[in-house]
Amino acid sequence: MYDVLIIGAGIIGSAVARELSRYNLKIGVLEKELDVCVETTGRNTGVLHAGFTYKPGSLKAQCCVEGNAEFDKIAEELKIPFKRLGKVVVGFTDEDKQSLLKYQDIGRRNGVPGLRLIDKKELKDMAPDAGGEFAMYSPTSGILSPFIYNVALAENAKQNGVTFYFDTEVVGQSRNNNYYILKTTKGNFSTRWVVNCAGLHSSKISTMLGIPGYKLGFFKGEYYVLDKNAGRTLNMLIYPAPGPTGGFATHATPTVDGNVLIGPDSVQIDCLDNYENTKSSMDKLFSDGRKMFKNMKREYCIRNFSGIRPKLIDPETKDVLDFVIERRDTVPHVVNLVGIESPGLTCALPIARRVIKCIKEVETLYDRKNFNPCREEIICFANQSREVQQQLIEMNPDYGEIICRCETVTKAEILQAIHNPLGVNTMTAIKNRVRAMMGRCQGGYCQMRIAELIQEELHKKETEIMYGRKKSHMFTGKVR
Amino acid sequence: MKKNFTCIICPNSCDIEVMFEGNAIGTVNGASCSKGIEYAKNEMVHPMRTITTSVFVQQGIVPLVSVKLDTPIPKEKIFEVMKFIRDIKVTAPVISGQIIIANILGLKSNVVATKTVEKV
Amino acid sequence: MNTMDKDVIIIGGGPAGLAAAVELKKRGIHNIVILEREKYLGGILRQCIHDGFGLKRFKETLTGPEYAQRFIDDIQKFNILYITEATVIEITPDKIVTAVSRNGLLQYRAKAIVLTMGCRERTRGAIGIPGSRPAGIYTAGVAQSFINLHNMMIGKEAVILGSGDIGMIMARRLTLEGVKVKAVFEVMPYPSGLPRNIEQCLNDYNIPLYVSHTVTNIKGRGRLESVTVAQVDEQMNAIAGTEKEYKCDTMILSVGLIPENELSLTCGVNLDKHTKGALVDEHYQTNVPGIFAAGNVLQVHDLVDFVSMEAEHMADSVASYLYQEGFPPSHISIIPDDSVGYVLPQYISGEIDVVCSFRVKKPAKKCAIYVLQDGKVIITKKIKNALPAKMIQIHLPAANLNSTNEIKVKAVEL
Repeated sequence: MYDVLIIGAGIIGSAVARELSRYNLKIGVLEKELDVCVETTGRNTGVLHAGFTYKPGSLKAQCCVEGNAEFDKIAEELKIPFKRLGKVVVGFTDEDKQSLLKYQDIGRRNGVPGLRLIDKKELKDMAPDAGGEFAMYSPTSGILSPFIYNVALAENAKQNGVTFYFDTEVVGQSRNNNYYILKTTKGNFSTRWVVNCAGLHSSKISTMLGIPGYKLGFFKGEYYVLDKNAGRTLNMLIYPAPGPTGGFATHATPTVDGNVLIGPDSVQIDCLDNYENTKSSMDKLFSDGRKMFKNMKREYCIRNFSGIRPKLIDPETKDVLDFVIERRDTVPHVVNLVGIESPGLTCALPIARRVIKCIKEVETLYDRKNFNPCREEIICFANQSREVQQQLIEMNPDYGEIICRCETVTKAEILQAIHNPLGVNTMTAIKNRVRAMMGRCQGGYCQMRIAELIQEELHKKETEIMYGRKKSHMFTGKVR
Repeated sequence: MKKNFTCIICPNSCDIEVMFEGNAIGTVNGASCSKGIEYAKNEMVHPMRTITTSVFVQQGIVPLVSVKLDTPIPKEKIFEVMKFIRDIKVTAPVISGQIIIANILGLKSNVVATKTVEKV
Repeated sequence: MNTMDKDVIIIGGGPAGLAAAVELKKRGIHNIVILEREKYLGGILRQCIHDGFGLKRFKETLTGPEYAQRFIDDIQKFNILYITEATVIEITPDKIVTAVSRNGLLQYRAKAIVLTMGCRERTRGAIGIPGSRPAGIYTAGVAQSFINLHNMMIGKEAVILGSGDIGMIMARRLTLEGVKVKAVFEVMPYPSGLPRNIEQCLNDYNIPLYVSHTVTNIKGRGRLESVTVAQVDEQMNAIAGTEKEYKCDTMILSVGLIPENELSLTCGVNLDKHTKGALVDEHYQTNVPGIFAAGNVLQVHDLVDFVSMEAEHMADSVASYLYQEGFPPSHISIIPDDSVGYVLPQYISGEIDVVCSFRVKKPAKKCAIYVLQDGKVIITKKIKNALPAKMIQIHLPAANLNSTNEIKVKAVEL
């Protein structure tokens, strides 16, 4: 019997798990995919938002500003790659100027620090790659690795006693006296509390738990990933001023590792789990990208991907609604989160704290002794000085064997990734944890060695090695 | 009558034309060397091919040794030869040039190692 | 970390690096070391278990491993120092080389550096094929490595995009291992590999080749389930209504090789936008004095025999450089006309005879190669069956030059 079962190990589920693990509770996380960050958490721009676009007083606004302010501390505790680069929102016309003033005002009301308008000269000095007559500068905006953030939260939760179940999809539930039985593809789990962090499936799970009526609209956003050589001079987030409908057009965002992301666009889709890149989006992103980023060239394109935003839609007005974080007396011991889309990454821990607040409304929680907010990282060989690199190799010769040439990832890091605390073992799990196979050759040089290492270290048959998602087997067997 | 062949013996890929009447082969045009002429004549009568593939190695530093047939075999026997090779295991060390299977299926061709695989 | 002094550091122990090392030794340069990132020498030849190598050089048809072994035997015979499992991570413009090995960081100060790093493959992501991104999509070299070196079979039903030689070789390899290869698709209106490979890899096994076709969509959630193939027009745009779906669990990509010059960029070497390899003079020297390049890292070759030859010519120049014999400056640039993909070398002195390498852009049953200077033809060569797949070489004697002005190479179909 669990005290709390969390449905979904994305950024929200993992943040809830980590925060709940501060208390003396038996906590489990049920994740239908084979790892964390497979869906929305692993498919976004990796931005720490400042909070100047959200309606004042909304949960989006409050959680965003809160999450932004504390992130230096979080990045340090959990060892998350993070750069508070700052953002410039550039404009050309009077209309643009009005939009920027509007955002500056919203930002001020939301408590976003440091927003100011800058002129062309200051813009050129600050962000040489940016084109624009003027801009709004947001000093608190930043970029982070969404993969490592999700992994870090989950690993920290695990370290503090939480159990993670992967490849475990919740397909039904029933209530028995004062506890729930969650029926999953891997058997039944009983629990006193259920927290719905199912993201794209949150409205489905909400209905299943007895809270129907939430309508999610699904909006796919496609991306190009550009080579690090394209991003050498991109030192800030550069966004164009929003158009009349309020959304941002295509932008170029540096990643914390030095790549550049072009996108995302936004196309409403009906069928969930359709992550296909489409010719129409790819063509439009390419041509729009070329207009606003000088290094948008075919030779720099490494790959494409897509993410799906779960937007909570008002069925009558069709407006996009605020986050739902609720507990209802009529549906006991359920904390329900629906429609957590952008700025979900920035808001993760503030949302988790509000979940706990909901639980504390009806139950006293006792602190766990020895809760450790810090987790150990896999040391990134590529980022160290030559002195430290030499020391690492002397301590562990596996640091002296480079497996992924494009990203300079060593055997030591890959082995640590294979033996990760969560026990996940897909090729993509390795990729997300240590960047192997993320470079320009896309695993052309290293995937053979990595597949072999997974096989040797975990005693797997060839047919058991998965690429990333369920049933994504790499091999059909041996040759001989 | 004539028939055309793309020679596979070397990267020149000569376009070879063979003149023939019934079973009698006449002139062969377009080859840059004698190997090409021989190839084209064989293609008319009984196409022959060599195979390069791998054989499983036990106790070797790598699991496979690359092999080749040292003389061509009839083209229609390719898959039969492959089936036979698939079931063979050799034990390391294997030296490049070593005969793994002599006179495979009685076709007068040997399966020869093309790489050295040392013992683990 | 000690910095060791070397006369020459050779980066990459594949066919180019090996040939260069042996030639350097023969020219009396002994203080050399080959730095190879793999566990064994041989480079890409280790996984090329098919034959057809060495016909020009050794007058016999060898498999890749056998060809490599000839040079590795010489490395042992001449006692040439090599370090495997050492990955070079930095080269500075003043020729300090840093490598990572299990024994620690290795740092060298070199008088000359030989760049022989070979190529990487162009990926699905680089060409931007729409669709999902499931398991089962492999570039030809990766598939070849899994099957020939790692004993791992990648699929049961395959299609192949790209009719380059590697793609066709893999079509045959997969078929021999029981994989159903349904078709090969080529976006150009003509095949990009050699006719002999179409014959022995595709026709022999009744694998159809569709030119002017490409993959326009990929379906599959975890593992590949099918691809959509369409015919393309002269601009290589898909023709609506010609789409066909091919069920398959494997797609092999053979859509081009890219010289692997990331390290070259770290030491200030300038690259040719046509070849993606270094800009070099008639001595295979790059713009950085003492840094030379040869083999696939310089231009994508189709015959390893030419790789060895190119590396040997380069090594000869490296030796001359070290003996301070002095090179006359190479200020005459050679450029390709639109009919020619690229020309190497890109700069010559005009004082010695040179051999130029290039490829035509389109196949031509009969064509004339013109070398022009100051608007006049200074060399003509007639070629039969010119193919982009086959590198062409042309002699350019110094005596034929009229001035020090730019030279152009042009191909005209007759």
